[in-house]
Amino acid sequence: MSTTGTLEYTPKDYKSDLKPIWCPGCGDFSVVQGIYRALAAIGRPPHEIAFVSGIGCSSRIPGYTTAYGFNSVHGRALPIAQGIKLANPDLLVLAAGGDGDGFSIGGGHIAHLIRRNMDITYIVMDNQIYGLTKGQLSPTSQKGRVTCTSRYGSMEEPVNPLLYVLAYGAGFVAQASPTDLVGMAATIEEAIRYPGFAFVNVQSPCVTYGEEAQQIKGLKAISESLQSLGHNPADRLAAMDLAQQYGQKMHLGVFYRNPEPPPTYGDLVKERQTLLSKDALPKERILDLFIKK
Amino acid sequence: MAIQGIDFANLSLKDALDLAILVEDEAQERYEEFATQMDQHQTPHAAQFFRYMVKNEAKHGQELQARRVQRFGDAPRSVTRAMIFDIEAPDYDAARAFMSPRKAMEAALASEVKAHAFFVSALPALKDSEVRALFEELRDEEVEHQEMVQLELAKLPPDSGLSDEDFVDEPAAQ
Repeated sequence: MSTTGTLEYTPKDYKSDLKPIWCPGCGDFSVVQGIYRALAAIGRPPHEIAFVSGIGCSSRIPGYTTAYGFNSVHGRALPIAQGIKLANPDLLVLAAGGDGDGFSIGGGHIAHLIRRNMDITYIVMDNQIYGLTKGQLSPTSQKGRVTCTSRYGSMEEPVNPLLYVLAYGAGFVAQASPTDLVGMAATIEEAIRYPGFAFVNVQSPCVTYGEEAQQIKGLKAISESLQSLGHNPADRLAAMDLAQQYGQKMHLGVFYRNPEPPPTYGDLVKERQTLLSKDALPKERILDLFIKK
Repeated sequence: MAIQGIDFANLSLKDALDLAILVEDEAQERYEEFATQMDQHQTPHAAQFFRYMVKNEAKHGQELQARRVQRFGDAPRSVTRAMIFDIEAPDYDAARAFMSPRKAMEAALASEVKAHAFFVSALPALKDSEVRALFEELRDEEVEHQEMVQLELAKLPPDSGLSDEDFVDEPAAQ
């Protein structure tokens, strides 16, 4: 239950005293600003928000907010976020990390949060490289990309994060970029408001190990707002069609929003608990189940 | 650089002043962020310059705010930060680890040029004569700001010849 009352929050209320140690110019600086703005628009107090991340540059993000933060284990942001949400369903739960954390090490977890429709917003800062460990090939690196772990160019097709989550049936899928902070904040806000699993892929340039085409200037050149294309976010097949252009075009905005969101896993758990509690023993007699009379 | 939901043809003087204040606020905030980034990365001279820009932007913002209050008191504002993006603020990736004061000044100069271009591009759509006069004034101020940064640039000794790339660790295989 929210305790916001009539209090109004500003982005600064979500900014912690910890100074980010990202490389100057890193795209993640704008992502955290977008998150501050989105949270202020939502208006939940910081103590009602839990922010979980994995490992990587971008996974430092919970520490830069005043929400409860958990900079957890590589690739395990989502299962931990799920546990938090189930233990305390009233919390607003955000998860974040990089493309490696989400689609390589933690790739197996996404499908399960989607099929359960966990009410969690997952923000991936996709920079197509492992930056924290100094520039190795990541799951979203382009084919042919030369890195220290692919000296003759990557031979693998990149994972398409948008198509990945759409194919698993995610109810809310969007993309944002530091080229449009206002749009990013609005998209994250919309994702948080979606009742269920919401995924936001943010093209966040790595200024140190990223390629020229993936920097802000390059991203601006290939960006296109989905709204300007007249895309209908209720049309999942159209969303999948557009998502196939990942890597060539950068479509910004909401690809897909399920117009009829199914119940969340939390709702179903509550329903099951209510049903079972009708025939359950009162708490003071619970030990009777284990004691032979 | 982006503007959303502002109808320049029907822009009132109050909204124009509020818009100009927001532009200064945004730039001030970005320079503050850059200065903090430079502090974190032991680049004090670039940090010092960005703080100088923070003061300048704050001063311009306060001047505009005083005019706004004198003319319109505390009448509610109808333009918001969500309507503007990167008008005078440097792009997020204009900051770089270990950037020299020269590079910092060049980033600020590019932003002043960008802000000038914004006011020039908005002028033809303006219908209100007072708003037009304000935008012309702001446009001319951006030229003054460019000159001010250029003066600072001229005072600097030449760069060492090292680029920020020279300080970046090589990619590492694991």
